[in-house]
Amino acid sequence: LASRPPDVDKEAQAYLPDFCAAGAIFVVVLVAELVAILLTLAAHTTPDTFLTELAKMSMFILWLALLSAAILCKIRPWVEKFGGTQAFVFSFLLLELLSLVFAEITYQLTRIYGEAVIINESHAGFILRTFAISSIVIALGMRYLYISSEWRRSIVLEAQARISALQALIRPHFLFNSMNTIASLTRTDPSRAEEAIEDLADLLRANLGGPKDRTTLKEELEVAAIYQRIEKLRLGDRLNVRWNVSELPMRALIPSLTIQPLLENAIYHGIELLPDGGEVIVNGVRSDDSLEIEILNPVPLDTSGSKDGNQMALANIRQRFELAYGTRATVEVQESDDAYSVKLRFPCEEHEA
Amino acid sequence: VRVLIVDDEAPARDRLSSLLADSNEHEVVGEAGNGEQALEIAGSASPDVVLLDIRMPGMNGIETAHHLNTFESPPAIIFTTAYDEYAIEAFDARAVGYVLKPVRRERLDRALEQAARLSNMILSEVAKRSGISDRRKHICVRAQGELKLIPVRDVSYFHADQKYVRVHHENGTDLIDDSLKHLEEEFGDEFVRVHRAALVAVRQIDSLKKTADGQTLVTLRDAAQDADNALIISRRHVADVRRRIKGK
Repeated sequence: LASRPPDVDKEAQAYLPDFCAAGAIFVVVLVAELVAILLTLAAHTTPDTFLTELAKMSMFILWLALLSAAILCKIRPWVEKFGGTQAFVFSFLLLELLSLVFAEITYQLTRIYGEAVIINESHAGFILRTFAISSIVIALGMRYLYISSEWRRSIVLEAQARISALQALIRPHFLFNSMNTIASLTRTDPSRAEEAIEDLADLLRANLGGPKDRTTLKEELEVAAIYQRIEKLRLGDRLNVRWNVSELPMRALIPSLTIQPLLENAIYHGIELLPDGGEVIVNGVRSDDSLEIEILNPVPLDTSGSKDGNQMALANIRQRFELAYGTRATVEVQESDDAYSVKLRFPCEEHEA
Repeated sequence: VRVLIVDDEAPARDRLSSLLADSNEHEVVGEAGNGEQALEIAGSASPDVVLLDIRMPGMNGIETAHHLNTFESPPAIIFTTAYDEYAIEAFDARAVGYVLKPVRRERLDRALEQAARLSNMILSEVAKRSGISDRRKHICVRAQGELKLIPVRDVSYFHADQKYVRVHHENGTDLIDDSLKHLEEEFGDEFVRVHRAALVAVRQIDSLKKTADGQTLVTLRDAAQDADNALIISRRHVADVRRRIKGK
């Protein structure tokens, strides 16, 4: 139940591998050499010329590969900012350009120092052939890096979502306050104390199970309603919640434990800090194939206090929405001087059954 | 021991008062639902000890404690909190009395025995260490034995008046026992020094005006200032005031 978000593992989140690292350079050399062997083998060499041909080929390819690695190493921090696909497309284009220039330089060099290496084909022919080969190799390499980075990122994202889901569970603050309320009610109103314990047990059960992938809206709203009942005992008239959710299809699926933590935030950072309390409004809107749920709460005008907790639960919900829906869902926060709102938009999906 | 209970949650107050009612040594002299009410009741009931919730809407427990310290014979303070690991660490470090909710009777008895007055310095230190805002939301004024709280956001400016500081606010002016230097330290985010003796709320500044003889004056939004009391900006503060107005 630490209150700090997990450190984001930057390296695992990166798109391109770090080409400045010794390990990566070794792999680059190895792959370049394999390609050189492949091309030499394919070029009808005789056993006596194989090694000399391989040496020339290796020299060309190793130079090109190491230069590419050096460039990727330098531009990486900068392309990473573009994010996923763009980073790869940009790197691809840059390497293509590099191979063109490099082919041209090689051609010119062989013309000047032409004793050892003689290119017996036209200028354009050489450039085109070299460019075609390097394009294919670069494209394959980039594709491989892209897939492995996606795979790595999804693993990291999933692990982070799990960890922070555990951390975003019910605030200790809430738990102890509820216990205190129950301790008080056992004397003054035993039957309500009993109900409160039942509610708290249900809520803990829902939370201890950890966030399941997805649950129905009906269940999710029930958990939130139980939470509301417990807080109502403590805050009395200061807490009101208006549920405008009749439009929502109750069988639709939603990542579990999303509405309750947002309601908790709305109370902890909003209602609880207002001397006269206020009203949390939950609006549910259904459009063609997506659902929109907004949790809106008033906040005190002068919030000099911290808002750490907010970020935790929100970051967690963001991650889980991204995992579940990718770009098809959005989590939007709006803040003004006296109000705070979180809007979840996600595709409307039901259990196939 | 005469005890005042301060908590914004009714069940929490009930629990403390029923625990105290069980014992013969303690007497509950009042219950308050917020800091303002606590100060009012403390003024008339003069408790020995105040059981004070930290997390309250409006005026939090630490600010309430600061104001209680302005009393002639300030009460001892015991904080109550449900869960706040940093505050608890800070309390332990400074030997500040506290009880955890749900409150145990033995723990409460022990805390009441050991309850002591807290100095402003300790309060500020505790607030800093536990990440609780130590900036007051109210200015406390005592006039003819009455205690008056002026929300800081209603203040248009502070003016040093020989020994005292006069606070100009929405509903008039009052004298307070605080130094301009201290006020500037505390409210520097929202207030700006315009000359040696005046600290003005940036939010309240309407415009700056040049007079014929080359002086720069501040005009305030809600004409809270009387004409002959126009605030002159001293030469060395002009640049700073301009920057603050732009930055707001």
